[in-house]
Amino acid sequence: MKDINRKMIRGILLLSYIIVTGFVMYGLSSLFAYLNTGADRSTMLHTEIKKVEQFLPKIIWDAYKNIGRPMDKQTLGSIENDYLDAWYVKHCAYQTNTRTGIKDYYTKSARKNLFGIINENIESGTNIISTTLEHNPRLEFFSEDGHVIVITDEDVVEYKRVYKDKTMLLETKDKSTYKVVMLLEDGFWRIRHMVKKSHKDFKPDYNIISNKDIEIKGINYYPKASPWEVFGDKFDIDTIAKDFKLIKDIGLNSIRIFVPYESFGKANVDQKKLSKLVQVMDTAEAEGLKVVLTLFDFYGNYTVLNWTLDHRHAETIVTKLKDHKALLAWDIKNEPNLDFESRGKDLVIAWLNNMVDLVKSIDPNHPVTVGWSNIESATILKDKLDLITFHYYEDLNNLEPAYLDLKKEIPDKPIAITEFGTSSYKGLWNPFGRNEEDQAAYHKQAQDILTKNNMNWMSWTLYDFTEIPNDVTGFLPWRKKPQKYYGFINEQGEKKPSFEYIYTKE
Amino acid sequence: MRKISYILSTAFLLISSVRLVGQEHDKTRAVLLTVKTQFEAGQDIVLKFSVANDSLPVLYCSNSYGMLLIDPALKNNILEYKIPDVMANRSGLVNWKLLNADKTLSGGFYINPKEHPETMETYLGPPTIEAGGRDYTMFVVIPTDIYGNALKDSTEVIVNHQFLASEYTNRVLTHDLIAYKNLYSYKKTGRMAIGSRTFETNSKEYIIDVLPAIPTDFKIGYEQNHNYADGNQVTSFFTSIIRDRNDNVVSDGTLVTFYITSKTGHILKTSAPTINGIAIAKMVHPDHGDTWTVQAFIEGMAESDTILLDFKQIITDYKVVFSNNNRTITIGPLQSFMDQMMPDGLQVKLHIYRGNTKLDMILKESFEGFVSYRLNSNEIPGGTYKMIIETARIEKIFENIKL
Repeated sequence: MKDINRKMIRGILLLSYIIVTGFVMYGLSSLFAYLNTGADRSTMLHTEIKKVEQFLPKIIWDAYKNIGRPMDKQTLGSIENDYLDAWYVKHCAYQTNTRTGIKDYYTKSARKNLFGIINENIESGTNIISTTLEHNPRLEFFSEDGHVIVITDEDVVEYKRVYKDKTMLLETKDKSTYKVVMLLEDGFWRIRHMVKKSHKDFKPDYNIISNKDIEIKGINYYPKASPWEVFGDKFDIDTIAKDFKLIKDIGLNSIRIFVPYESFGKANVDQKKLSKLVQVMDTAEAEGLKVVLTLFDFYGNYTVLNWTLDHRHAETIVTKLKDHKALLAWDIKNEPNLDFESRGKDLVIAWLNNMVDLVKSIDPNHPVTVGWSNIESATILKDKLDLITFHYYEDLNNLEPAYLDLKKEIPDKPIAITEFGTSSYKGLWNPFGRNEEDQAAYHKQAQDILTKNNMNWMSWTLYDFTEIPNDVTGFLPWRKKPQKYYGFINEQGEKKPSFEYIYTKE
Repeated sequence: MRKISYILSTAFLLISSVRLVGQEHDKTRAVLLTVKTQFEAGQDIVLKFSVANDSLPVLYCSNSYGMLLIDPALKNNILEYKIPDVMANRSGLVNWKLLNADKTLSGGFYINPKEHPETMETYLGPPTIEAGGRDYTMFVVIPTDIYGNALKDSTEVIVNHQFLASEYTNRVLTHDLIAYKNLYSYKKTGRMAIGSRTFETNSKEYIIDVLPAIPTDFKIGYEQNHNYADGNQVTSFFTSIIRDRNDNVVSDGTLVTFYITSKTGHILKTSAPTINGIAIAKMVHPDHGDTWTVQAFIEGMAESDTILLDFKQIITDYKVVFSNNNRTITIGPLQSFMDQMMPDGLQVKLHIYRGNTKLDMILKESFEGFVSYRLNSNEIPGGTYKMIIETARIEKIFENIKL
């Protein structure tokens, strides 16, 4: 026994010696590796390209039939790069009235103009938050030695918010045409002359699509295993197909799904995820379900200078799916009115306004809506949207009069409730909540009201969820816990009493 | 007819009454008094509005480079907005919006550049072009006024250039802010001086070089003291004066490469750059009689005719003496064309065979007309060998040499 103990102690000592030595060696080697990082030949000259995309307005070059030297793709690429950067540094400069970066993109005599205006603006306390959403440059002239270029930038769409002493005085969106002379100076294309030639206010050209016969009897859909992360690693099209079949069998005709902004790759949309989205749409089409596609989920930036990035995100997705037969409507953003307080109501509305313009410019055939979080907000942008949608989680007894009021206010457009429901959680974190029977009663009452008024609706949601990401409700358990039990089907896959009232056959 | 005139007059009455009502209604609205919409850079620009009330709305202005807000001065119910110099001096469209509480009033005016230029921004390139009339350089001029604005389109720019004894004048008009002129080369080479003028403003002088075009085919010749194959003398090859197709001597430094092919098909190469159109390259004589075929190339551009050179064999025979038990072999004297000793450095090879297997080859160079080999007994043990001696392409074979 004693012997065994001694052997064990020896063994432990030896092992701990090896482990300690291992740690020391690991520490020393990582220190050595760290000290060696600067000496890596490939990084010594800092030639690696560190490009962060920060400004991506839509830019379409007119076919170049310029005078002078024929243009090649590579040179045009670097001209485009520097030209857009010149606009970007200008936007930054007027936003903060600083001169950073101007030197790199404007020649000595051109930058005087910018500095002069910046000085005037500092004196008068003016700040201008601006961006350009669209450029349509045409190459007019390229000198034989490749050092001088003249372009006409037609119908540059500029969006500006003008502040004086931190109060916004003007919001304006216009289209201007500029003639620009650029010079190649020490590797940079710099603006030498810039002359505004014409100007008009921006008027989006599209029609409102108000299909009053639209009939939405649907449900918000997330798979049971991967709510809020449909297109991630747990993506399983078979499960989704089964769920869609179930939804169809119940008698519902539509679903509402969400495209998360960041995990879809922001401005550079992840093609893999996009193709997963197409698969989901295809599956919906196969089941004869229509889809309300909610964009910009988990988005909350709205900064004017980033709009071009948001626009490229939407552009990719809308372009890909605009002709999809399953598409019912574009829901620009889920509950953006919740960001009014933190981001500023007018900024959020301006962002929505411009996003609607963009989506409608690409897809003029599908209705565009915004999923407001309450019925009071549903009148915002009512003239701009094709379909009015809102979410309803308040007292059901007030739904009917509120809906009738809204209908009176917006008589010419279809209206839909795209989220309603209640949690069946009653427990430690919500002792006065509803239990499963109460939930069933809620849906019964809801169905009565909806059917009576022949309303369009989508309920929340098919399943109870086991995991909810913190981004959705925060980490507080009294918020998170009820969110798990909004489903008609529980965690075990059994139908809850409310399932009976998921749909009323007429 | 009467009906139509009745309808028209009623319509007119209706419209005018609507207008009247409109004006009545807009008592608080500001009205633009400034009618001018075209200004010249540098002018004082003041926008005036008449207002009924005493509000002081700011004016938003946006020009080619940026945007700013202007505070008004109110005089007798007239709002005056003075456009600051930074905007008034800059050509292009300025659009404005009056930010009063009720309906915003908006408009625009155009600032033209001044008529006369102050400076001529000039860009010229490429700096060298090829003679012959096909190549050209582009002269770009942006006449700018005192504030740095490019002058308006269709401003006349006179482009002068001088070449050799001639001077030329061209008139071009600005378009899209710039004026340009392509200046083609002439047949001769030389320097072209270029300048431009708009009204009374002249640019500075610019110079470009008109260089010869690519060379045309040429002839070659050679020069030598004698044509003996002594492995010591040097033959010079030279070209005729190389010219382009317009008879201009090619640029100094054009590289000419001479390819020399021997009777056995081996190729020797020598090259030289041209000076005043002539390239001179050298090559040492072979050490045995040979015939060289020589042609010169300016790679990718031009070539010469082919010439032949003969070299006379000078060594016809030589003595070989074995001594010291055949372990010392002395070769010589090796004599040149006038029986003088060969210059040092003639290569001599000794091949040693045992039976039919080659054991060794020893290479030595002549010194004062002789070459001697000392065969070490450690390297070549005693026995019977075959020895072959070779120099100036003459072989001598010695069978059964006992060491």
